[in-house]
Amino acid sequence: MAVKDIFQAVLEFDEAKVSELTRKELDAGTNIQSILNDGLINAMDEVGKQFSEGVLFVPEMLMAAQAMKAGLGVLKPHLADTDNKPKGTIIIGTVKGDLHDIGKNLVGMMMEGAGFNVVDLGVDVDTEKFVQAAKDNDAQIVALSALLTTTMPAMEATVASLKESGSGVKTMIGGAPVTEAFATKIGSDGYSDDAPGAVELARKLVAA
Amino acid sequence: MYDRMQTLTQEQMNKIHGAAMDILQNTGIAFNEDEALEIFKSHGFKIDGKKVFFTEEQIRKAVDSAPSKFTVTARNPEKSVKIGEEDFVFVPGYGAPFIAKPNGDQREATMEDYDNFCKLVQTSKFMDMNGFMMVEPSDVPPETAHLDMLFSSIVLSDKPFMGSPVSKQGARECVEMASIVWGGKEQLKKVGPVTVSLINSLSPLQFSDEMAGALIELARADQACVIASLIMAGSSGPVTLPGVIALQTAEILSGITLAQLVNPGAPVIYGSTSSAMDMKTGGLSVGCPELSIVVSATAQMARYYNLPSRSGGGLTDAHIPDAQAGAESTLALSTAARNGINFILHSAGILGSYIAMSFEKYLIDEEMCGVIRKMIKPMEVTDDSIDVEMIQKVGIGGQYLTQPKTFKLCRTEFFLSNLMGRQNQAGWKAGGSKRVDEAATEMLSKRLASYEKPEISPDIEAELSEYVMRKKKG
Repeated sequence: MAVKDIFQAVLEFDEAKVSELTRKELDAGTNIQSILNDGLINAMDEVGKQFSEGVLFVPEMLMAAQAMKAGLGVLKPHLADTDNKPKGTIIIGTVKGDLHDIGKNLVGMMMEGAGFNVVDLGVDVDTEKFVQAAKDNDAQIVALSALLTTTMPAMEATVASLKESGSGVKTMIGGAPVTEAFATKIGSDGYSDDAPGAVELARKLVAA
Repeated sequence: MYDRMQTLTQEQMNKIHGAAMDILQNTGIAFNEDEALEIFKSHGFKIDGKKVFFTEEQIRKAVDSAPSKFTVTARNPEKSVKIGEEDFVFVPGYGAPFIAKPNGDQREATMEDYDNFCKLVQTSKFMDMNGFMMVEPSDVPPETAHLDMLFSSIVLSDKPFMGSPVSKQGARECVEMASIVWGGKEQLKKVGPVTVSLINSLSPLQFSDEMAGALIELARADQACVIASLIMAGSSGPVTLPGVIALQTAEILSGITLAQLVNPGAPVIYGSTSSAMDMKTGGLSVGCPELSIVVSATAQMARYYNLPSRSGGGLTDAHIPDAQAGAESTLALSTAARNGINFILHSAGILGSYIAMSFEKYLIDEEMCGVIRKMIKPMEVTDDSIDVEMIQKVGIGGQYLTQPKTFKLCRTEFFLSNLMGRQNQAGWKAGGSKRVDEAATEMLSKRLASYEKPEISPDIEAELSEYVMRKKKG
């Protein structure tokens, strides 16, 4: 089964091979859903699992995500032909005052790898911008990142504003100093301490 | 190169050398062994009873004939090691009668424990040589235990091993077993040293008949010997460390002289594991800073004589692999490596000032051997290792995580921790909140399960086995 080869090529971090195999499968008339779910997304789930187990390292996980995105790029023009909608839209950004984006980028890439539509607002994003972007994109989730304890209060303010906005958008938070207890305290819908965990959490929040 | 720890100046070393010469010339060293006395006498040394006196010229001549560096050949040639100058080896713990259990209780060590340490050495990325008497097995007759241990050392690992210095006879048997492995005595002579044995003086200023006899046998067969003092400052040596260094230098140089008289050019190592007596208990302390000071001075004095050096490594007075054990052991191990010791004995496993070996402590120390080896490896500064092009490409505010170079080198550029936890607190809790010694207990069974016996000719193994049986009966 050639879709399995796409899965394998993602796990081998081979961007060119993933593109090529995806194109071949499309030409052969293989079901697009199967290419996407059984090939690309399943592979990223496996990558996330292996990363959490300590088998794969951060740069390898990112290379796999890039390979997966290359396959997704090939599929995208054809996805519009079917009624295949993204799994959900996620707004992601680092909160006001915080310029650290490596962790946020990692989570963003993994979420794209899991089939979400990700809108990345970048770093040092103020509350209003998060609220507006959630509205404009009809997002299901806003994901907030902070590396500094000094910017954690900005998370609290943003979560509160998003609630007040009445859009019903869910929030999730993460970053080195952030804890489950802090998430509960500020009324966020969830927290994860690594990127694969954040993907799991996003799936749960969208399904809820 | 700058290191704040420079224990001795050149002038101070000259002064210590002068004191050692004074002791050798005027007090002398007692050799409780007839052949040793014969050898000294035949070379015109002044003798009075068992006391031998040395002139500076006699010492100088012996020291000059000893190599500053030599190779110890392993039965797997890829695992041969060089000892001396910039080259050094990590060697496991030595001489412990007990095994420390994970809870700090002790039990008598057995041959099975010895064999398991051989297997850990064989599967280790960081232990360069196999030991001898890594534990003293209580379940085999002590008179022939060295034969059982040598057999295990040779058969269970293909790394170079330590020889048996237990007596003249024990040393001879060690050479005979090595001859079986290397295809006969003549062939062994051609290969050169395949073992390193530990010859200790009996401080102050004596050599026992066993040790002097073993030294003669091993030097004659061109097998390497560490000549070492273990002076307890304040009891078997002066309370001040400069006095200890002078005393150990006299003892070590007299042993080296004997080896060079037997066989000029025989590989020898200037060794010391001298330390302080704990004044509160009267016991030997090896976790104290005085040990590391002596380690540093030992490396310097050995270089003063252009000789390879030996000291202890991961030493501690703690009885369990706790924070004290980790701190003391790593300080001593790091001091030995950074100061240029060439043969770092007791690199892994020792607890309680040599009283016990701990499997958990072995695994923790072994990882520190890897860490230290990595730390002191000279940095390679090249256009490629700087890579201005990449830095300019990433530019201001970019990131390096997705650079192809980062991906390519992510498994090899940094030291990969096996045992030391690097997870965040949530991950650590999810994994059972394990301390490093608890993680080591888990790793131990995995390591032993991963062991594969290295290839050995069935004929050689049978001959070795037959040799040990015959000697045990006789």
